Amino acid sequence: MKPILIALVCLVLAACTTVRPDPSILETAEQAIEAAEAVGGDEFAPVEMRFAREKLASARIGMEKEKYEVAVYLVEESEINSELAIEKSRTAKTRRRVNELRKSNVELDERLRATFGDEYK
Amino acid sequence: MSRRLTKLALVLILVLLSACGAPPKKDLALERVRGELDELKSNPELAGYAPLAVGEAERAIRAAELASGDDLYRSYLVYMADRRIQIARTMAEREQNEKTLDELAREKSAMLIKASQLEADQARMDAEEARLLVATTAEEAQRAREEKEAALQKEAESARAAQLSAEEADQARRVAESRASEAEYARLEAELASQQVTSLTRQLENLQLRETESGVVVTLGDVLFASGQARLVEGGRSSLEEVVDLLQTEPDKKIRVEGHTDSLGDAQANLLLSEQRAEAVLEALVSMGVDSERISSLGMGEDFPIASNEDEDGRARNRRVDVILLDN
Repeated sequence: MKPILIALVCLVLAACTTVRPDPSILETAEQAIEAAEAVGGDEFAPVEMRFAREKLASARIGMEKEKYEVAVYLVEESEINSELAIEKSRTAKTRRRVNELRKSNVELDERLRATFGDEYK
Repeated sequence: MSRRLTKLALVLILVLLSACGAPPKKDLALERVRGELDELKSNPELAGYAPLAVGEAERAIRAAELASGDDLYRSYLVYMADRRIQIARTMAEREQNEKTLDELAREKSAMLIKASQLEADQARMDAEEARLLVATTAEEAQRAREEKEAALQKEAESARAAQLSAEEADQARRVAESRASEAEYARLEAELASQQVTSLTRQLENLQLRETESGVVVTLGDVLFASGQARLVEGGRSSLEEVVDLLQTEPDKKIRVEGHTDSLGDAQANLLLSEQRAEAVLEALVSMGVDSERISSLGMGEDFPIASNEDEDGRARNRRVDVILLDN
């Protein structure tokens, strides 16, 4: 009975005292946010940008309170939101170009019809 | 005892088996994420795009599905899987947009090519049209010239015939002159037909013209006659050439030639002199091609001055012959 108890206590302790992560993971997440800002994340993916910032802020608190496991998860979740914001911003830009080109094609088509009439099929 | 043992063993085995085969706890969040990935993979618009990102999302879901243990770790994995799917979706959309951009760019260049072809066609057609127009206009102008010449020829012939019927010697002389002048008239008319506007403005520049109620008046100064004489001076005819040109631009109008003098000397003598001078100018004009049927002359004496008779300058202006193109 005694050894079992000792083992249990050890397990619980091990779970609580997860190794303290390298504090630079916070910087990496911060850089991911900056990268997302640079491609227009706040304009094209404001929701994801907010998630990224909030999760990073929570991660900092977790680090301070030595809740390292959750802090690591939060850092990862912050980073993936920055990544998503970057991808969404790029996609939004291509969508914008599609709309512009489509519009200019319609205008060109109308102009050619007006100029050439029936000959322009 | 052995029966009990056996029973216990059986129960144990069952419990163990059930533990192994136990399906992982039903996780609604994970099911929702799996459903999202399936939707993306079967979406007719997006299926097939961004295969690498879709593969990563797939692996993230599998990791979440396989994860056992604490809820914190599981929900972290589910969250990551969900974001991976969103990333895959937005990348698939982007690839599709890029494909659409290519198509639109091709459409645009096709339109521009077609437009430049049509433009070239139209330019060719315009050039052809312009060429035809020029050709037609030249033909029409030629035809008009020929018709006019034929008409003039006819007119000249009938005038000749009409005048030949007059037997008087004086008339005969005029007819002979008129023959020559009709030919010249015809020639001038033909020239005028091709020059018209330019020649008219040129004439108007050189002649002294006045617009009056009765019509356009051309004033010939006192250079045509020597003092007291009713004969044109040498070279007087040549100064009438421009007048003839002008008169022929209005072939349908009647012409009146009026002689005027200054107030010096006897009024009766002045009247006679003005009449003779008007006649002299009329004769000169007829001999230069003006139709004798439409021209008449009149002596006006000294009663219609256009300037003061008090000084020589004014008197010089009053000594004149007016050629009037009558409006009616």
